[in-house]
Amino acid sequence: MGLSGALARLAVRATRVLVVEVPGHWATRMEVEHQLLRRGWRPAWTPADADVLAVCGAPGPELSELVDRLWEQMPGPRVRADITSPGTVGSALDAAAALLLDTPHHRTDAQERAQEPEIPEDADHGGHGGMDHGEMDHGEMDHGGHGGHGGMDMAPEGIPLAEGGEDRDGLEMDVLHLPLGPVLPFWPAGLVLRCSLQGDVVVNAEASMVDGRNDDEDDGAGAAGPSAGPAPAAVVRCDQVMALLALAGVEDAAACARRARDALLCGDEDAARDAVERLDRTVRRSWLLRSSLRGVLLLDRAGLERHGLPGHCRGDAHDRLLSRVERIRAEAGGTEPTPAEDGGVPWAVVPDLVTGLELGSVRLAVASLDLDPHPAVQAVGHG
Amino acid sequence: MYSGIVAMALVALSVVVLLYALHRAAVITAEPLTVLPAQSGWMPQEHALSRFHARWYLASIVFLAFDVEMLFMYPWAVVVIEKGISAVVEMFLFLGALLVAVAWAWREGAFRWA
Amino acid sequence: MAESVVTTVPGGWAVLAGILLCGLAFFAVALDAALSARAQGTGGGWGAPLGRAARLLRQRRRSTVAADTLLWRIGGAGMLVGAFLMIAVIPLGEWTLADLDVGVVWFNTVDVMVWALVWLAGWGANSAHGLVGGYRFLAHGLAYELPLMFALVAPAIAAGSLAVGDVAAAQDGVWFVVWMPVAFLVFLIGVTGFSVWGPFAPALAADIGGGVLAELSGVDRLVLQAGRYLFLTAGAAFSVPLFLGGGAGPVLPGWAWVLVKTVAVLAVLVWLRRKLPLLRPDRFMEIGWMVLLPAAVLQDLVVSLVVVWKG
Repeated sequence: MGLSGALARLAVRATRVLVVEVPGHWATRMEVEHQLLRRGWRPAWTPADADVLAVCGAPGPELSELVDRLWEQMPGPRVRADITSPGTVGSALDAAAALLLDTPHHRTDAQERAQEPEIPEDADHGGHGGMDHGEMDHGEMDHGGHGGHGGMDMAPEGIPLAEGGEDRDGLEMDVLHLPLGPVLPFWPAGLVLRCSLQGDVVVNAEASMVDGRNDDEDDGAGAAGPSAGPAPAAVVRCDQVMALLALAGVEDAAACARRARDALLCGDEDAARDAVERLDRTVRRSWLLRSSLRGVLLLDRAGLERHGLPGHCRGDAHDRLLSRVERIRAEAGGTEPTPAEDGGVPWAVVPDLVTGLELGSVRLAVASLDLDPHPAVQAVGHG
Repeated sequence: MYSGIVAMALVALSVVVLLYALHRAAVITAEPLTVLPAQSGWMPQEHALSRFHARWYLASIVFLAFDVEMLFMYPWAVVVIEKGISAVVEMFLFLGALLVAVAWAWREGAFRWA
Repeated sequence: MAESVVTTVPGGWAVLAGILLCGLAFFAVALDAALSARAQGTGGGWGAPLGRAARLLRQRRRSTVAADTLLWRIGGAGMLVGAFLMIAVIPLGEWTLADLDVGVVWFNTVDVMVWALVWLAGWGANSAHGLVGGYRFLAHGLAYELPLMFALVAPAIAAGSLAVGDVAAAQDGVWFVVWMPVAFLVFLIGVTGFSVWGPFAPALAADIGGGVLAELSGVDRLVLQAGRYLFLTAGAAFSVPLFLGGGAGPVLPGWAWVLVKTVAVLAVLVWLRRKLPLLRPDRFMEIGWMVLLPAAVLQDLVVSLVVVWKG
């Protein structure tokens, strides 16, 4: 037992956490990220790599279903931590670490859990009928709709094969449907972008919010738990900058943005100012970063008008990054009250913006915009 | 001459076997788990194994053309000192012609596919 | 090759070579983890490789529905095996395991194998993320491989031999890095390329949830990740006989200098990773073909003119 105990203790030092943010619970998520790094843990990007599933906030019915499925995809040893407020993050992570050490528990869990996924016989795969774009389904093969694909060969293991659709050059290419979000690293909380892919190009996309938030009726997390309320604009912006830098792959700069965010959040103004200055220098100096963000979702005046976007979105992802860092500097420096922002980007326009882009550019494009579902929506212009 | 390589391959394979054996001893359950592919928790709508639209196929054709040339380049590298300037002229005229073709392919947009 | 400048040692020494390779790769992981911890402001991190390995050894393996498991596992384990094969031809001072006439070509062969391995690892998982990742790597490969090959040829021209020991011995007075810096740079770019590492990691990037790694857990993930670091180490080690004078150096014996130089190259590569953004495959395609390739060919021209001039 001693050896396996030692191994477990060693393993727990490198724990990876899959963080799920229920829209509105940004403060809990940031606290989780802060605390797991302090323990030497790291965030996981997919359930395959996760030991702990940290659910920040109380998910609504739709997100709950997704979280349950993610939980089923975790290899184990696995621990689920439901964290409802920033104050309980520390104790929840402590408890998770303790449970991770309990090898007999995980052996039992591994034996008793479902060993194979549950694939509904004739489910509407993805659970969203609106996804079956008419123009994608004109293939000569009879797939009989997603309601009843009876053909054995068409659906090995209960999942249909990919079907062809015309690409932009008129060639027939297989179409894959890949939903982006809501649980994806560096992705706006709650946003779901259902993409149709040919190769790695998004040929069609639909956006929605998980659990229908932002609809008129507030049925989801708002009722289910205490939402943290609006976030300070500078914190949100830092968070967005961190996401964009992390997706671009500049890890040191992303870490710097994360530290600036956490310093702003806990009100440590000097540390925040230092980190922001360093961030600003790094971002400006890196010509490689500029070359990788140049031209990503370039919006000129006409483009802004066509999509009804605010003026601060002008330019490409790199321009937006620089102007965002500039605003953070102004806000963190506290020199002058910054003028109110002229609104964010409504998430409904995202599909129009990203259709035709390659997957990597889609991620950079989304991360470069101030999307409206973000908690900052209420905080805009707080001074 | 190749015994060293064979020995190295054996070492490498035994490292793999050792790791898998260690894993078997240390893991909570040796039996692999079968799961759905990660799609943020959504059910997959179809199998991912499909005809992937590799939009850089033009570049791959140019690559093949150029790659075959390496067959000549390696033996040539060994004899260039012996053969003197004529070998250099011949090889780089050939490479020059290939590079012109690459430049043409580039102008035609073979390396731009975003 | 009538007489060789290096001594071929019996196959049993492969064990020691393997241990050295693993030790150096361990150093690379530890350094990377320590730098990461410092950037996050937490400190520590040197022990991280042990913890990560222990975690993956304890974690259950998983497979996806209708996965192409055989190909998937070949891709993962192949990365680990490939790196070992690569170092077999690198002389450690005066000793080598395999003194091939065509050692440089052998290196090239193994690094091209990576194309298949990474793609298989991405394809086999039957996951859209892995699929996109695998193809991203192929796109990268198309752009870095040719420049890498031409960079490999430059030292061979100067030495008049494809045997790695001869190339090292040919740098008696001046190291090749001094008068073929372009080839050295392109070589290092190629090394990060076939290690799917640093700027060349879009195949494993966060934007596609880890891409090729997205579905791997347990020891399957461990062998692939270890393989990447081993390849990085092997590539750094190969730059020593090719460009950095092999075991040449004062005071210390040859084998020690090889190790010291390898560690230095490795440390620079690991450090640089944190500063550089990912090179997006679509952007790098043009850079590879229109900048790196002509530069490497020009380097070869200069090198061959110089050697012909000298005699």
